[in-house]
Amino acid sequence: MMKMLAFALSAALSAASAPPAAAQDMAMPQGAPVCPRDAEPIPATLAAWADRKPLTAATDEATLGTAVLAPGTAIDLALAETPAVTYLVRPSHPGGSVSHGGMLRFTIASAGTYRVAIGSGAWLDVVAEAASLESVGHGHGPNCSGIRKMVDFALKPGSYVLQIAGNGEAHLPVLIARLD
Amino acid sequence: MRRRLTLAIAALVLTAATAPWQWTLPAGMRAPRVPADNPMSAAKVELGRRLFYDADLSADGTMACATCHEQRRAFADGNTTHAGVHGDPGRRNVPGLGNVGWMTPLTWADPRLTTLEAQAVVPVTGTTPVEMGMAGQESEIARRLARDACYRAMFARAFPGDGAIDFPHAARALAAFERVLISLDSPYDAWMRGDRAALPPAATAGAALFRRDCGACHSGPLLSDGRFHRILPASPADPGLAERSGRAADAGRFRTPSLRNVALTAPYFHDGSARTMADAITRHPGKAAAPAADLAALTAFLTSLTDRRLIADKDLALPDRACGMPL
Repeated sequence: MMKMLAFALSAALSAASAPPAAAQDMAMPQGAPVCPRDAEPIPATLAAWADRKPLTAATDEATLGTAVLAPGTAIDLALAETPAVTYLVRPSHPGGSVSHGGMLRFTIASAGTYRVAIGSGAWLDVVAEAASLESVGHGHGPNCSGIRKMVDFALKPGSYVLQIAGNGEAHLPVLIARLD
Repeated sequence: MRRRLTLAIAALVLTAATAPWQWTLPAGMRAPRVPADNPMSAAKVELGRRLFYDADLSADGTMACATCHEQRRAFADGNTTHAGVHGDPGRRNVPGLGNVGWMTPLTWADPRLTTLEAQAVVPVTGTTPVEMGMAGQESEIARRLARDACYRAMFARAFPGDGAIDFPHAARALAAFERVLISLDSPYDAWMRGDRAALPPAATAGAALFRRDCGACHSGPLLSDGRFHRILPASPADPGLAERSGRAADAGRFRTPSLRNVALTAPYFHDGSARTMADAITRHPGKAAAPAADLAALTAFLTSLTDRRLIADKDLALPDRACGMPL
């Protein structure tokens, strides 16, 4: 999929009004931005995107305790080769054997809408109680920001697992940020 | 005892896999044409289904056929166009695959593509545009598949006496799976079979308008004449049929799309430029000022072409098991 390319802000803004969707197919619109000419600022809610710390993704439930992301902080997630990953819930778009994937755990303290922003078009699931949650919106990041894909979820306080599947590269920038 | 039972089950499975293919079709519907060198079998369809959902057919393992052909969208895509694996912008809107076994020619504007076996090669290895990015890497596909013991067994069952694991065989299996993406079970079909209650009044009114104004091109069971027409003004961005024919008169001509499941396959036209059915209708010649009531009736009729069985059929979905093991 598209690597580290961002898209029109209008598309990003449309995320808020996008219907609930399990789909995350963020195809490249025609007339892709030319960077840095078409660069757009990263909104304040995603400001942490620029300051990312390394984190190694979990490859199964047993290793989730070592892969923890605090909402509001960004990471460069080191992924594993897909055949080495045992997901809690099978992704509906599993990557091929030559792709990369992994999981991390995060905890939500207060209910709200949270945005998962990643730097590729990889498939992502937020899992709770052995089920993938339905998203409430999706879109593209600001032009030239490196945010390729954003998927929103309405989350209650509790523990969740973010699953990444079918990423082309072995590393993936990730940010989970509260929107409201 | 257990061994004998296992052998008996294996024999049954093998018999089912190699038995002559039986089409399940409505009365009066002829089976799609199947190339003599690629006969249908349950084993081949099963292999093709697994390959259809396998992203190892793309350069970096991120893109399967199903990435752009989603079952819940009648195997179309909700985007204007879909980028390729390396980020190349898509060129034309992703068509739905319902009844693709009967369609010929295939795709928007290539009269040379008359078999699904030939068409399956295009997204995987094509370069205009690059989609799955495997041009020149066909042997890499074979390498990826052959290291999976289950794939080795599936190819052997699908191609008995041959069993070669290579991209041409994969393409033949994909074609076999695509031929079972049959969509002939919509309310419209029930209505055509005589169930007058299958369509609401608005859709019935729309059917009359459709026959009068659209049926010349959107004809037959597929609601496509398979011919090339210019509906939108020709654009230098995409010459359509002229690209293949070399004839200037063919600029802007594209094959009539089937309207089966059209309510699920927005956006519309070869460039995905019409976001709604009403938009698509009013951009047809002479329809710009179509009355709102006509648009509503036509939209109701077009919505009756949705085949819920196609999008809910678990046998067409991402397989969760292969060779008796979870995937």
